[in-house]
Amino acid sequence: MREKATTLYLGPQHPGITGNMMIRLKVEGDTIVSAKTEVGYLHRAFEKLQEKRNWLQSFTLMCRFCVPESDPMEESYARAVEAIEGREVPERAKYIRVMVLELARLASFMLWYGGQNGSLGLYTMGQWSVGDRNYILDLFEELTGGRVYHMYIWPGGVRRDLPKGFEQKVLKTMDYLEKRLGDYDDLMFDNAIFKKRTQGIGLVDKDTAIENGVVGAVLRGCGIKSDIRIDDPYEVYHKLDFEVPTAEGGDIWARALVRRQEARQSIRIIRQVITDMPGGSVYNKVPNPQKWVLPKGDAYVRTESVRGEIGLYVASDGGNMPRRVHLRGAAYVHGITLLEDVLVGENVADVSAIMNSLGTCPPEIER
Amino acid sequence: MDLPESAGLGRVHTNKIKIMEKIKANLIEHVKSNFPEVTSKDYKGNRLDLNVKKECIPSLLTYFKDMLGYIHLSHITCVDWIEEGEFELVYIVWSPVEKMKVTIKTRVEREKPVMPNIDMIWRQANTYEREFREMFGIQFKGLVGDEEFLLEDWEDMPPMRRDFDTEAYVDDTFFHRPGREDALDVREEIVKRSREEIPDFAKKYSR
Repeated sequence: MREKATTLYLGPQHPGITGNMMIRLKVEGDTIVSAKTEVGYLHRAFEKLQEKRNWLQSFTLMCRFCVPESDPMEESYARAVEAIEGREVPERAKYIRVMVLELARLASFMLWYGGQNGSLGLYTMGQWSVGDRNYILDLFEELTGGRVYHMYIWPGGVRRDLPKGFEQKVLKTMDYLEKRLGDYDDLMFDNAIFKKRTQGIGLVDKDTAIENGVVGAVLRGCGIKSDIRIDDPYEVYHKLDFEVPTAEGGDIWARALVRRQEARQSIRIIRQVITDMPGGSVYNKVPNPQKWVLPKGDAYVRTESVRGEIGLYVASDGGNMPRRVHLRGAAYVHGITLLEDVLVGENVADVSAIMNSLGTCPPEIER
Repeated sequence: MDLPESAGLGRVHTNKIKIMEKIKANLIEHVKSNFPEVTSKDYKGNRLDLNVKKECIPSLLTYFKDMLGYIHLSHITCVDWIEEGEFELVYIVWSPVEKMKVTIKTRVEREKPVMPNIDMIWRQANTYEREFREMFGIQFKGLVGDEEFLLEDWEDMPPMRRDFDTEAYVDDTFFHRPGREDALDVREEIVKRSREEIPDFAKKYSR
């Protein structure tokens, strides 16, 4: 007997949703028949505001696009402005940028560990990983003054040099986190319930991935080796030695395996950066921000964030304010067309786990 | 298509610039033989800009995806050049083999803008087009999807157009919270309300 279809509104405020958005689900029993993403609860018009602010004022809005990924956004903006202006960045600043980006990546992985497991009822992991994330935030606080929003990577370099003894503190934290990642594996990847709830769930096959413009760990979880840091290298990534992990399967489990390896690669990169970091200045000073004018032109830069490719298009009309700033986050693609497809046929209890796994971040969709 | 295979290595190596130049020259030659009206602009690194008429967009993008291996649509954006009375639509495609970023630009008039739809080439283009329909008022022929994307019951001018005045809209729509219009000194206001003296150390900060 065919069950009667019911419409279920998941969100906009729901602990399982990764931000303020709603999914209109049509369910038969526990099985999802169709899904429709509804956004519009979080629009802050950042891109409109930036058109009325000068180049440096715009920069302060960049990190606020998405909470767990503040640094890749800042770095994208800085790099786009530098590309339009042709401004050189000191070598040391590039190394510091990579260190900050990778620390931010690790911090973001810690949130993902918590979110992914929390969505499956394994709350212990969230307590552990968010606790450990604080050690990274402590480093950020010492370096930049802020814990979540840093406003540290700005056009021309970074805001200030490393404090005395900072490198040793970073290395010490890395040693600690590396040990902790082993503990996470015991709790998460050796866990029968986690395996059962993730294997074969939220499937994305290669063709769907390419058709939908999927990026990041979701693409690598389909067995496709793709990473902006290798394919279209920026800062000093081309000088560093690291691997791009992939996994086969295209399910939540495969994506978790990819991220598990990526966190270790981040630690490897941070260690290299600290060893190789040259001396010198960290900032190629920009003119008085009120009079700072960029030549007419545009730039599109791409950054690899935890959830995948971030693209930032910046256009200048030759004035002291941006003509257009347009961000494309991974969630813009994953959170709408892909999510709507993937959810069909899944169990209603797995929606939250799938969203976490795809890296859906509503602030990035609306901006 | 005879493109050097070594271009797919990704890592920076000494011949990278030469290979990039070769790829770009090859690409321009291929595109121009099929689309003679295309104009190109070369940039440093792995970026190449192409300018086309809006009618060519679907066929050019299909050509890039199916024939040249530019399988990833990285971004679509819209810029309002109000002084010229035009919107500029920018499509950015990426080839994972050639490691090349091609920016395809087209212009559409600001008055009643109509663009061809490309969501049958890349599904995610649907999201971009829904956003531009709402935020810039550009109609995409044959676009399927709800009318409302981010905005709800919006009857004003599309808000991302340059001539939409955010400040005036806010003034018209919302009322200001009393006590904020004339930028009161917070300390003086607290003193007035609490009827207490300002401490000595704080006096120098007060107006």
